[in-house]
Order: sequence, then C-alpha cells, then structure tokens
Amino acid sequence: MSALGPTLELGDLSAVRAGARVLDRVSLTVAAGEIVAVIGPNGAGKTTLLEAIIGVIPLVAGQVSVGGRRLHGLGDRARWFDYLSGEAEPPSEVRVGDLLAPEFVRERIDPISLRSLKARLGLDPLTRVRTGALSRGERRRVLLFQALASGKPFILLDEPTGVFDPLQLLDVTALLRETASRGSGLLITVHQMSDAEAIADRIALLDRGRIIAAGTLAELRERAAVSTTASLQEIFLALLSKPNHANAESHAPS
Amino acid sequence: MLRRDLVVVLGAWITWIAAAAAALLIGHGFVLAVDLYSAASRSVEAHTLLAGEFDPLLGIVRPTLGGLTLALSLFGPIIGARALAMEKERRTFHTALLRTGSAWRLVGRKWLAALTAVSLPVSAAAILVGLWRIVGGHVVMGETAIALGSHLLYAALFTSVGVAAAAFARGVSQATTAALLAVAITWAIDASDGFSALAWLVGAATWSPTTYLSSFEQGTLSLGSIGWFLGMTAGALAIAWAGCRFDLHGVRRLGATVGAIAILVATASILRRLPGAWDVTEARRRSLPPAVVHELRAIEGPIQVVVNLDREDSRRRLIESDAIAKLRLARPDIDVRFPPDELGTPSAPAEDQRDDQYGRLTMRVGARSAVTTSNSRREIVGALLGLTGHPSPDWSQAQYPGYPLVIAGGKRTLILAASYVGVPLLFLVAGLAMTRNTPRRRTT
Repeated sequence: MSALGPTLELGDLSAVRAGARVLDRVSLTVAAGEIVAVIGPNGAGKTTLLEAIIGVIPLVAGQVSVGGRRLHGLGDRARWFDYLSGEAEPPSEVRVGDLLAPEFVRERIDPISLRSLKARLGLDPLTRVRTGALSRGERRRVLLFQALASGKPFILLDEPTGVFDPLQLLDVTALLRETASRGSGLLITVHQMSDAEAIADRIALLDRGRIIAAGTLAELRERAAVSTTASLQEIFLALLSKPNHANAESHAPS
Repeated sequence: MLRRDLVVVLGAWITWIAAAAAALLIGHGFVLAVDLYSAASRSVEAHTLLAGEFDPLLGIVRPTLGGLTLALSLFGPIIGARALAMEKERRTFHTALLRTGSAWRLVGRKWLAALTAVSLPVSAAAILVGLWRIVGGHVVMGETAIALGSHLLYAALFTSVGVAAAAFARGVSQATTAALLAVAITWAIDASDGFSALAWLVGAATWSPTTYLSSFEQGTLSLGSIGWFLGMTAGALAIAWAGCRFDLHGVRRLGATVGAIAILVATASILRRLPGAWDVTEARRRSLPPAVVHELRAIEGPIQVVVNLDREDSRRRLIESDAIAKLRLARPDIDVRFPPDELGTPSAPAEDQRDDQYGRLTMRVGARSAVTTSNSRREIVGALLGLTGHPSPDWSQAQYPGYPLVIAGGKRTLILAASYVGVPLLFLVAGLAMTRNTPRRRTT
C-alpha cells in the first residue's frame, strides 16, 4: 500500500469467452496515484481485461484484490471502481448540466476541483444543451467528467483518448494526471502509442490475452533491447516480433 | 440519481407520444360510454323506476378505464423495458451499476422513473371522469378513486415486467419483445375463458391481472387483489435484480433467477389469499343488506359453499359475480369450492357422482349442510342462514337511486373535443416542453 491508498492487484487472471481463452494468467498491479496504460493489437484482450476486473467476464482462474483483500460481488467492486466503456454514450434526452450536477456524479472530490474539472473539459458552455445535440468528442468529455468526478480509488477507462484532437488531448492528459495526483489509480486501455507514452507511468503490452511486457518506458526499452530514445511504437513492434514473446513474461513485473 | 432517470424517461419523445396515444384510446372509450349511457338514459326518461339501473361507475368509469387498461398493457412494458435497456444499448449499464453500488437501487430507480411515465395516462382518465362531472354527470369520489388507483397497481406490475425483461436482454428491442410476450400470455389467459382452443389455460386465471382488476372496477377494495399485485410486482423486480447482477455467472446467476421466480410465485400466491374486502360503492350497493351481513358475521365457525357448476355455465358466472361476491364481502373467510375445476386431481369426485350433483350448491356451517339448485342470491344466502336456526333477517336495503343522464348538443361537442383533441394534445404540448432543445451558444 502506498501513502495514497491501497494497490489494485490482478493475480493470474484467466478468462474464457465463447470457448476461447481471452485472458491468460494476466498479472498486473495499479498503485494509488498511478496511471497504467494497457496497449496491444486489436483483439488482444484490453477491454476484456477491464470487464474481467469489474466482474462482467467470469474468471476461470486468478483473482482481483485491493490492498491484499480479494474482491467478491458487486458491492465490493462498486466501492473501489468506476468504469467507462469505450463505446459508452450519455443519455441523449438529458441536458449536460443535469449530468454534471453534484447529485449525479456522487463526487468525492472537493467542489473547487469539480468546477475546475468542468471548465478544463470545456463543459461550461454546454450545460443547457441536451447530450443528443453534442459532437462525439463533447459527449466523451461529459462521460469522462463523470468518471473522473466519481473520486473512486480506481478508475478504469476504456479508450478514453480516442476521440480527442491533439489540443484537447493535452488537456485530458493533464486532467488524468491531476486525478491520479488526488490518489486515484487509473487503468486505461489505449490504442494510440503516443497517447500511452504521454499519459502513463507504466505501460503493459497485452497480446492474445497475455501480458508480454510491463513497466516504465525505460524498462520496456531495456526489455525490447532497443535504443534509449526508441518510441513506444518501436518498442511495441520489437516486443511483438520476438519469436517466443508469449512465454517471455507470463508474470509481468509491477 | 432518481432525478436523472426521471429526466431520461420524461425527456424522451416516446413517453409523450405513448401518453397521447393512450389518451386517445381512453378518450374513445369515454365517448362510446357516454353515447351508450345517453341513449339508454333517453329510453328511461318516462320510466323513473328503471333509473336505479344507471350506475356511472359501471356505465362510464369502467368503460373509460378499459382504454386505460389496454394502454397500460402496451406502453407499461415498453417504457419499463426502455428505461433499463437503454443503459445497455448506450454501454453505460455496468457503469450505472458500479455507481449505484446496488442492483436493487438501480432496478428500483429505473422502475420508479418508468412508472411515473407509464402512469401519465391515468391522469387522462381522471380528467375525462372529471369532465363527466362538469357536464352534469354523477361521480362518487371513493369508488372512482378505487377504480383509478387499481390501475396504478396494474401500471406498476406491467412496468416491472418491462424492467425485468430488460435486465436479461441485450437491448431495447429484445427487452420490449420479451415484455410484450409476457403481456400476450396474460391476454391468452383472459381469452381462454371463452375460446375453446385456449381452454387448457383456464386454470391459469389466477395469474391474470384482469382477474384482480375487476373487483376494483366494481367499487370493491380487496386486500387479496392488492396483495396479488404487490406480490407480483415485487417478484418481477426480484427477477430484474437477478438479471442485473452482472457479477453472478453460470449456476449462481441461474440460482438467483430461479430464487426470484420462486419469490414471485410464493408472494403472489400467499398475498392473494389475504382476507378482507370493503364495499366502497355509494349506498353499499355491492353488498348484502346490513341485517343480513350482521347475521352472516355472527355465524361462528367456518362456512363452506360448494358450487357444482362448470366454468362455462352461465349460472356459475351469475352466482360468482353476485351471491358469492356479496358473501365474500360479508365473510372474507368463506371457503368456496368448485368441484368441476378439480377434475383430474385426487380430490375430484367420481364420474357418476358428478352427474348427480351437477347444478347443486351445497352450503355447510360446521356439520350442518343445505342444498339448493337456485342461483338467486336471496335463496342461497337464506339457505345458509337457515342452517344457524336464526329467524330470517330483514332484507330491506337503501335503494340506489341511479343517475341517468342524456348528453347532447354543446356538452357532447365538448366531450368529443376533449377526448379526441384536448387531452391528447395536452400530452403532446407537455412533451414538447419537456423535450425542447436549447439552441447552442456559439463560443469563440
């Protein structure tokens, strides 16, 4: 446990969907105040990993624990996690202001931070507009606000950055960092390597349901045996092209 | 959080279009009832003795509520299903559950929000009954409120069916289809009474909501009927809870669902037997005369009435709706048996005995019994009281005056305008206000 709070521990998670093993002994930790990005090719199991953590996908082996205590049931998970699906859409009938109102976000963060979060996501001018009239990026910002304002110890975000332009991404990255600095651990799946590089403290590379490498950027470079200035994309390609990468790291370092 | 769900439900156009369509259905039923009541009233203008037959509860309120029943049966499941299934379609279902922290709370919120929307047409029926009073009709608050209020129980049940279907479905269309299928099953049970192809469903009548709704529509407040609606609604919500528990998988999920179905069957079966029913009609016209009720209540020990008549027999319908219904109001603990319904069960009488006993009513008080073949209320109750050895009570009862009324000219035009235009338009205007979008401010 860090000074900010307990650690989320995923121990040898294995899951099967439609007869196929979609997670294979995945081990990973997310400390309080830390941002961990999960990257990997399409179908690697990134979204499945988040769904397994919140209990949507049944585990055939392994366990999800927080602070050494194994989580059981919905109540346990509701206490520790907030989750935002990559395909989530806010209800189109509701005005943005209604979705940002304190009673809807059940915020555990102070009102000043909440106001700042709203302003930084550019939601102030949209409060009277129904979400059905928003652009995709704006709708995503509304949902992101709700997740970050939940103040839950661990926030699981599936592809939170995919719809933002580079300028918005800078803001969002800063907001994710601020959320982490308030003590929440963030586990995010990211498709864009550059986003993961910019946002995450640690990065886990998932392929065919297995973590083939995890660590800081420097640690990944070392593992991939690439230059110290290599980008995450180069690391990714190097690790994926290793012939026995599936067996290289069944238990990722935390 | 309930406010958000209310905003979602009331901010949707479908809610208001459904309410307007329901208002049209209710309005049409009201207009037909008014016209029929007027025509019949015109025929008794010169015969005041027949006026007592003119009961606005049966002649106006009940037919108007027929449209409401149909509207609630159709829109209740749709709006109930949509309230929860939309979360699944928007991929926010798991997030909503994690934020709510409890499947019970999520189901309860969705159900309450949907029920608010589903109940909107009840106000249309109330407005039209109010209009009947404005044009000079007679309306008694108590009996009308019971009839209207029972439809809130009906709405609560069908909304919970929609929520339960949504809990197991992947999206709105799947949930709506499943919920409407459940409604169709209750319609099939109702239809089985007079449709030989569905005769095998007759025994399931105790699972049809209309069985329990009819007593309210006649001005009887029945605890058993309230209990059945509450038990079924609670059971449906328990099924919805089981469906929402995404963290339960395989056998545990199946176990939770089976357990919830068992709760539904058990609570509805137990609560429908609750004794206690009150006649809230004007002049207590559904009840036996007060002196007779007093004598019946003074009988110590159990009373049993065995009716050897088949469901299809019109005499049985008459006895059930008149003598038995009135006896139950006086003595809710009365045990009524219908041996022809028990055919195929171990307690069924032998075939030769069935033929001999058919058409007979046997009344039992303790070890004494009396038999009659009459379907007259006075004959049946008299035979029962005769078993106690008491002298025959006074059968006189306050006369229900009846309220014939002819609606014509401007009043009829007003009723037509309100039923077909005014009330439906009211919902459309409300919908416009609730769903109106605010133009976006341009930001630089």
